[in-house]
Amino acid sequence: MKKQFLAAAVLAATSMLAQAGTLGDGNLSISGFGTLGVAKTDSDDAKFARYNQAAGTGDSPRIGLDSNLGLQATYTFNESLSGTVQVLTRKNTSQQFTTDLTWGFLKYKLNDETNVRVGRVVLPAFLISDYQNVGYANTMMRPPIEMYGQAPIENVDGGDVNWQHAFGDTNVTVQAFGGVSRGKLYIPTGGGSVAKHQSPVYGLAVTAEYGPFTGRLAHARAKIEVNNLAPINAVTDGLAATKIPAMIQLADDLTLKGGKRMSFTELGLTMDWKNIVLQAEYAQRRAHEPVYIPETNSGYLMAGYRFGKVLPYYAHAYYKGAGSSVTVPTVPAGHPLAPTLAGIRGLLVSPEQKSDLIGMRWDFAKSLALKVQIDHVKPQVKGGSLILPSGVMTYGNSVNVYAAGIDFVF
Amino acid sequence: MKKVLTALLASALAAAALPASAEIVVIVNKDNPASRMFSEQASQFFLGKSAMFTPVDQAEGSKIRADFYQKVAEKDPAQVKAIWSKLVFTGKATPPKEYKSNAEVKKAVADDPKAIGYIDKSAVDDSVKVILTLP
Repeated sequence: MKKQFLAAAVLAATSMLAQAGTLGDGNLSISGFGTLGVAKTDSDDAKFARYNQAAGTGDSPRIGLDSNLGLQATYTFNESLSGTVQVLTRKNTSQQFTTDLTWGFLKYKLNDETNVRVGRVVLPAFLISDYQNVGYANTMMRPPIEMYGQAPIENVDGGDVNWQHAFGDTNVTVQAFGGVSRGKLYIPTGGGSVAKHQSPVYGLAVTAEYGPFTGRLAHARAKIEVNNLAPINAVTDGLAATKIPAMIQLADDLTLKGGKRMSFTELGLTMDWKNIVLQAEYAQRRAHEPVYIPETNSGYLMAGYRFGKVLPYYAHAYYKGAGSSVTVPTVPAGHPLAPTLAGIRGLLVSPEQKSDLIGMRWDFAKSLALKVQIDHVKPQVKGGSLILPSGVMTYGNSVNVYAAGIDFVF
Repeated sequence: MKKVLTALLASALAAAALPASAEIVVIVNKDNPASRMFSEQASQFFLGKSAMFTPVDQAEGSKIRADFYQKVAEKDPAQVKAIWSKLVFTGKATPPKEYKSNAEVKKAVADDPKAIGYIDKSAVDDSVKVILTLP
């Protein structure tokens, strides 16, 4: 079924490719991107997934990890006003392939340096937020989950302002955004469940480009509200039922009901100089009021060297806990609530993970790139970002992920 | 055998006599106040880093297009495509319009005061203004 679907999607894409030439001539331009990939790991005990992806990949080959198809239409009304819609089909929070509206906005060009977009726009938390789903635009097979899993919100219903200015040889872009982010979050614990979030969010991203070097600093603030987070609600309902003030306080501290303020700060660098390709990012996730979500630090470094059309690369990625915003009350040993509180202390500890990966991108034909990548994933605390079977709380063994795919744009 | 060698030598000499690739010039509209430009500046428009001018491209897969991006930015066609796909799929920019020949590029630049294009030096006439020569 899944394979039939993808075959149909590829057929549809190919027929659109044939039409793209004629459609592109007028005010409407249709373009698309996609990846046809296959992946397997060497373990079925813990499964590997992208961030916010429900279907984990185990020791039998699966196309769902990396395969996707995006279609985009832009209509130009006049020199100042255009509209863009993009839909993306992939395996995300559901076990099946689903199609979602990634962007849908009107863009108004105020002048040569400034434009405003209103509608559903990208949440530019990361260096590659803009094109993280476009395999062809990226060196690596997929964004490192260690970092991109720390803020799995991709778009905002609202708007942004982009200002681009050249200071001598340095190009500076400032992007300010705000609105409400809505979407589904996949909660891997307790056998897996999907929660809906609606989070007011705003922030700023500043990018400076100088020749082959790009530096980027971004800061995003959100009030993350999730009301149907089953595993956490079960805990907080239990605490509130004790009618003990300290436990009611703890329940209020843990919950995402009603929304909790968090921030995400990111620093990114890229270099594409001579044949050396570098990409690095570091980020901090922080809570600005008590919430169960742990604070984290994350980062990665990728280095590659271009031999003509072949680009081999290596990357190291990690994330670590940076503390919790919740203080759990202490009770004497033997107190009836002691096991519950010990469980909550465990819940507040962030998972941690490191990965080393090697891969190769080969631009073997026009608008096509072949990639192979092997990830050596080392969970450090609680099984890292691997999806564990129901009831299993920790997993300490390394997992190798073998993946190959073809990226295309049209 | 000797004949083959002579023929090879002759063709090598003939090839050496021709320039490796023809000179390319970057052109703008005659009303454009710019008079000179460095290749780093010109590449900004063709790689989507500045929207001050509207770039006009030659046909995808053409030799002049591959030569132009190599000379102006040391990028091969696949790298240029990857750079544009970053911009296109966020709706931040649309790739340059393509034209099939030097004459069509020249006409597009002559018709649009904000346009910037590139053509073979031999195709230049007084309908456009040359602001950069790429040897």
